[in-house]
Amino acid sequence: MNDYEPKIIALVCNWCTYTAADLAGTSRLADPANVRMIRMMCTGMIDSKYILKAFLDGADGVFVGGCHPGDCHYINGNLKAHKRIIGIRKMLEQFGFEPERLNLQWIGASEGPEFQQNMEKFVDTLKTLGPSQVRNCAVL
Amino acid sequence: MSNYTTLKTNADPTNTVRSLLQKMLSRDLVDSVMVAAKTPYSALPMPTLFSDPAKMDGVDPLAPVAPFNAARQAAAVLKHQTGKRVAVVLRPCEMRALVELAKLNQCRLDDVVKVGIECMGRMENAVYLEQTKRHPGMVVTFDQDEQLQSLVCPTCRSCEHFQPKGADVVLCIIGNPVSESIGLCAETEMGVTLLEQLGQDCGPEPDQRQQLVDQLLLERREQRKRLFQETSLKIKPIEKLQHLLANCLNCYNCRVACPVCYCKECVFVTDVFAHEPEVLLRRAQKRGMVKLPADTTMFHLTRLAHMSHACVECGHCSSVCPSDIPVADIFRTVSAEVQELYAYEPGRDISEPIPVLIFEEREAKETKN
Repeated sequence: MNDYEPKIIALVCNWCTYTAADLAGTSRLADPANVRMIRMMCTGMIDSKYILKAFLDGADGVFVGGCHPGDCHYINGNLKAHKRIIGIRKMLEQFGFEPERLNLQWIGASEGPEFQQNMEKFVDTLKTLGPSQVRNCAVL
Repeated sequence: MSNYTTLKTNADPTNTVRSLLQKMLSRDLVDSVMVAAKTPYSALPMPTLFSDPAKMDGVDPLAPVAPFNAARQAAAVLKHQTGKRVAVVLRPCEMRALVELAKLNQCRLDDVVKVGIECMGRMENAVYLEQTKRHPGMVVTFDQDEQLQSLVCPTCRSCEHFQPKGADVVLCIIGNPVSESIGLCAETEMGVTLLEQLGQDCGPEPDQRQQLVDQLLLERREQRKRLFQETSLKIKPIEKLQHLLANCLNCYNCRVACPVCYCKECVFVTDVFAHEPEVLLRRAQKRGMVKLPADTTMFHLTRLAHMSHACVECGHCSSVCPSDIPVADIFRTVSAEVQELYAYEPGRDISEPIPVLIFEEREAKETKN
């Protein structure tokens, strides 16, 4: 189990968190290689299916990164995402997914280092939790 | 408060209710009544829209059966304003679903008279048809006959919403042996006016009724809690859930039966899930195998993500499952947690907004994982 490297699907907003990831890159901060990043126009458009699909296909963690409350490019997409995601997290918990595996963070466009730190922290959390339960069974 | 009256039934409670509804029509208090009624061809009562009081022979709302959640049918009649005043006679779970559908703009409830029934549960359709052959007077004997009561479906046995919420008038069974009497309780101003127009003298609700309600509520809560605890052990970790879902045919009956699954076109019948062969082959390659049809767990979890906040616990998803999957147990157990998180109770109050549709900066700022 020592060679376990968590797989993370990161769904990030174009305007803040993706830009922060860009900034982290141009600042030469190394991202953990565990992260598969998917750029969305807004966290508000993250359908519950995207998160469920990632988990059911064996992702160890799903990261959702959006603008700070009040800073959404589309006024309130991040608030909608928040309301939806707490529900999905609660639901996944009932099926034995640890709530920490669905990580929602607000990371502004200028917060490159914060982005990198968040990712490293998330990798650590997932390493402590161990592989997702989905890896050990066939999900029909 | 004077809002309660008792009707003598003379051993035919169905007739008492029928006469009441007929009076509503003949006195022009409403233009139409939607109520469960037997068809000439079967004993199974179907939601039926009546305009002529003379045609109401089949009316049978007290039978312990409901072929489906009639909220959908009520919503179809109430889709938009027609200038007609309609009364709908519904069970509590149907009433709650109707309120949720109204919140989702599927119908309008401004010109409707909601008549709720205190519900002691429903049998599965086949069970009811069998039993009604053996016990033709089942409506009268049901509330005294524990053996018959034990035949209602498991969802109903652990239901704590046996009293309708938000109804204008409630047909009260609790504390009234239906062979002798049925209570009528007006719960809104419209209900009070209606009972006056029907010539009913109202008095206060008998205290003893509330005691019986509280007692039943306690029993049901206990049963519900036990069911949730048992189910919780069967769905976690997800491998256990796979044992429950393994026989799912992806027929989507549960989705069709669900009164609050309201999308005109479900994403599961669109191209999103009509995979190209390459997709299936790739999945098979990646994991060594893929069960077809694919996305079974995905389907149930997506449905939960979409409507767990609105689950009214009617149990019809389990009733229609050809593989006997306890869909309702799973949905109720998970939904209870989600509804608690959102402090939301579906169907409780039409003015209570759907939780995912209201969002405040304050809530989002407080988020920390």
